[in-house]
Amino acid sequence: MRARRSIITCALLLAASASLSPRIFAQRGPAAATKPKPIPRAVDGKPDLSGIWITGALALIVGDEEAKAIAQADVAAGRKPLVREPPPYKPEAEAKRQYYLSRRGIDDPMARCFISGVPRITTRPLPFQIVQMRGQVIILYEAHHAFRIIPTDGRPHPDDIEPSFNGDSVAHWEGDTLVVDVTGFNEKTWLAGVGTIHSDKLHVTERYMRDTYDTILYDVVMEDPDVFTRPWHEHEIFRLRPNERLREYECIENNEDLQRFEKLLEIDPALKK
Amino acid sequence: MKHLLLTVPAAVLLAAPLSAHHSFAAEYDGMQPVTVSGTVAKIEWTNPHIHFFVDVKSDDGAVKQWKFEGYPPNMLVRQGWKRDVTLKVGDTVTVFGWRARFDPNLGAAREVTFADGHKLNAGPPAGTGGQ
Repeated sequence: MRARRSIITCALLLAASASLSPRIFAQRGPAAATKPKPIPRAVDGKPDLSGIWITGALALIVGDEEAKAIAQADVAAGRKPLVREPPPYKPEAEAKRQYYLSRRGIDDPMARCFISGVPRITTRPLPFQIVQMRGQVIILYEAHHAFRIIPTDGRPHPDDIEPSFNGDSVAHWEGDTLVVDVTGFNEKTWLAGVGTIHSDKLHVTERYMRDTYDTILYDVVMEDPDVFTRPWHEHEIFRLRPNERLREYECIENNEDLQRFEKLLEIDPALKK
Repeated sequence: MKHLLLTVPAAVLLAAPLSAHHSFAAEYDGMQPVTVSGTVAKIEWTNPHIHFFVDVKSDDGAVKQWKFEGYPPNMLVRQGWKRDVTLKVGDTVTVFGWRARFDPNLGAAREVTFADGHKLNAGPPAGTGGQ
């Protein structure tokens, strides 16, 4: 009796699975394959930005072929190429930038292994990891072992900020966009390339918006009344690298640049200004 | 011709922020490509750049040692290099890169061709240093 009941049960299960199978396969068919992965959400409902990301000169990180594939995917997805505007410098600041350009970048703080500053550290050709937690977001940069601990619990900037390379960050959410307010910088970094100087009045506002599972749109506004005539906007796309891990990058280990710059200054009259 | 082909994408990249450790143009001349073949004599697998030294024999039999700078180890491993495996002392290689402005036997390596013919990027394309 028990055996007969088992046979019937098995038959019913087989029949049920047979009737379900086409639907199951349909769900795994081409239509499902093209369905984008949902954007992950934290327990508070906000987009979860956690993960390892890269941006900037992708070919330097992932090689020419993969960088080309990413660029082609961008075109297929309808992403427009990022347009870069020159820094809107006041004449005196622009003159300084031109001076640094004429010296071909030998004055670059980064060549001295200083922490690159915000936002330049983001575009270094090395990955960074965002760790989103309750009340704070932590960004770990492979470049220079740098990190930022960014409160998201509503607290203001502290009132005892010491000027620093990466400044002091606090953040809040505007809808699904994380808005990071950064202040308290020293004057020892460049913003986005050779000669992109700033003063200690620099104020940076970063916006992180995870627009797909694989990408974050990064928008940054730099304000500095001492050097800019108006705010300077830059944009980047962060790419998720799920199989990546952060490694060590100790810039000062074998940095020959300073000795080389001394040699160059001795022999190259163009640099003696 | 090979040099010409390799410098075209480099020119395209000039508009993009390279943000490497230092500006390419500070130390190297993107208008002075160089290709040498020889035997690897020494490797410095260090940050912020690796260096490798190649003994190059000239037609008269004299040996000159070239020093090449490349990506840091983190960037090389992401592009397929393995320490002590990909490039070893004694290997025969051909290196394409650009000459330094201040040392006749120093170069920025862009691509290494190994004895079996396969090639790997060893460093960034030439840039102006404008970024």
